[in-house]
Amino acid sequence: MPTPRAPSAERDDDIPALELRALCAAFGNGAGLTDVSLRVGSGERVAIVGPSGVGKTTLLRAVAGLAAIDDGHVLVRGQDVTALPPERRDVVYLHQTPVLFPHLSVGENIAFPLRVRGQRGEAVRQRVREALAAVRLDGFEARPAHALSGGQRHRVALARAIAARPAVLLLDEPLSALDPALRADVGAAITAAQAEYGPAMLIVTHDLDDVGALADRVAALVDGGVAQCVTPDVLFARPATLAVARFLGIYQELVGRVREDGMIACALGVVDVSRERRGVASTASLVTLGFRPESVRLSAAGCRPDAVRARVVGIRHRPRGSTLVLRLEDGGAESLVEAAIAGQDVACDVGDEVVATLDPPDVMVYPR
Amino acid sequence: MTGSHLAAAVPRPGPGRIVRGVLLLALVASSLAPLVLLAIWSMSGRWLYPALLPTEYSAASWRALGAESLGPALVTSGALAAAAGLVGCVLALPLGRALARLRGWRRHVGAAAAFLPVAAPPLALGTGLQVVLLSVGLGGTVAGVLLAHLVPAVGYLSLFFLGTFTLFDERVEAEARTLGATPWQVWRHVLLPMLRGPIVEAVALGFLISWGQFALTLVVGGGAVRALPLEVFALVRAGQDRAAAVGALLLVVPPAIGLAALRWAAQRTAVAPA
Repeated sequence: MPTPRAPSAERDDDIPALELRALCAAFGNGAGLTDVSLRVGSGERVAIVGPSGVGKTTLLRAVAGLAAIDDGHVLVRGQDVTALPPERRDVVYLHQTPVLFPHLSVGENIAFPLRVRGQRGEAVRQRVREALAAVRLDGFEARPAHALSGGQRHRVALARAIAARPAVLLLDEPLSALDPALRADVGAAITAAQAEYGPAMLIVTHDLDDVGALADRVAALVDGGVAQCVTPDVLFARPATLAVARFLGIYQELVGRVREDGMIACALGVVDVSRERRGVASTASLVTLGFRPESVRLSAAGCRPDAVRARVVGIRHRPRGSTLVLRLEDGGAESLVEAAIAGQDVACDVGDEVVATLDPPDVMVYPR
Repeated sequence: MTGSHLAAAVPRPGPGRIVRGVLLLALVASSLAPLVLLAIWSMSGRWLYPALLPTEYSAASWRALGAESLGPALVTSGALAAAAGLVGCVLALPLGRALARLRGWRRHVGAAAAFLPVAAPPLALGTGLQVVLLSVGLGGTVAGVLLAHLVPAVGYLSLFFLGTFTLFDERVEAEARTLGATPWQVWRHVLLPMLRGPIVEAVALGFLISWGQFALTLVVGGGAVRALPLEVFALVRAGQDRAAAVGALLLVVPPAIGLAALRWAAQRTAVAPA
């Protein structure tokens, strides 16, 4: 049941295309989704990321009406659709691998959402042509669905979804089943679908590399709820909770103690973290410091006698650049941290002793 | 022995091949010989011992088809079997889907319940059903016999559709629903067209289950419903061998057509999405 689009931009802001209020859905043996709240504006693309098994697919299916929810509300353009069946939600859910109807041609597949709404004739053919053009498959109408290549099937499924013109498009891992050459193809088709008429998109992905290209904002789904929903750069630079930082996989952790002067002492020395990021941690309380390899600064041993000495015990080569593995000794306790090699002032090799410090601006502080 | 391993790779006629050939010949002979004999018998005019083949041929038995009891019995059996195939399919399709959606022990119990009327001897089934059908006034009627035939037919076809829907990709239905199709439209535009092959097979199977029924028809029909197997049995007992041969041949024709339909449908079965 599509409702007329809001006439002005202000109204679009007032009424999000999709709003989830305290959605709760159990699945499997775990706790499931316990409290998911999210707003997606018209024309906005929001990526859902989170560890495996957290319920990303369940969330999409619940929004589509294909999975039961235990509590909470789904609103599409301000209308509560929680109790409505899938076909009346103005929401289209796209499976991870495309599901085309094998007894229909490509054109008939794309016309399907229009035909079940009683539309016939030239208007349907016109819409099918437009949808095929949007995914760069002009002239494919008469092809049988089973004769398509993998990437073409993804694009036909997308074309069929945008032919339905839903207020909300739900994409479940749209790129993960594709090889790199096809990812660009289908990614472009998603962008084109967005440009076609500007639906709100909710995109589940497990690949953080896709997030920047696919989405305007990213929602981190952790422990049954949305822990953070921000632009991708903010998520990567300022994970709101330790769970989010751990999921991102690029943060290392050290235990720190808040000193009386507000600075935090840890195995990498004393860090001057701004009050804003230190939060309400009280004096002498223990905190967890989260930091990326780029935040560990190295200098030659001996230049600062009071600084923390570290021994280089290995080198790790990663896609984003190689790191040195450092062994720190802090009052008898040993810990290993990684420091990015790029951008360091000092050259060193395995076995060398260096001085390591933590660069405060990008260090996150989490309560323990 | 150089090259022995090469020679071994080339298939040669061996004892195994001869055994297989003999077995295949025996299979073909045992399938066709009774039919050939029936055909000869049904057309024989004069056939006395010790002649190997009839000395005179006659079409009298076939011409008498309309006048004798075989004609009406053919119509009764055909109508019963067609109804059992169609109604059985209509009932078994949703039942099979419901069974396929059960999980764990419920599915085993459901499948066992569907299998019971298939496994039970028709005589036992008929004896039990007769009591029920008599009490509702359907004993000795065509409707009562049809209901009785439907019991094994629906059981068998439910299992058939359980298999079909186990292989069927559930995402197809979800995809259709989210694209705006109502449950009825999903059936009309997606499930039924995709299941055309299995549905043809099921109707043919239901037809055959009813067509060959003897005990159920006899017990529930009480001799008042004269289906073809009953007539053929009566002719055999009365010693009317030529008429019995005609009836027996008539019994064979629909299964042959049914088998052809099954082969045709099997080649078109597609339950997976493109």
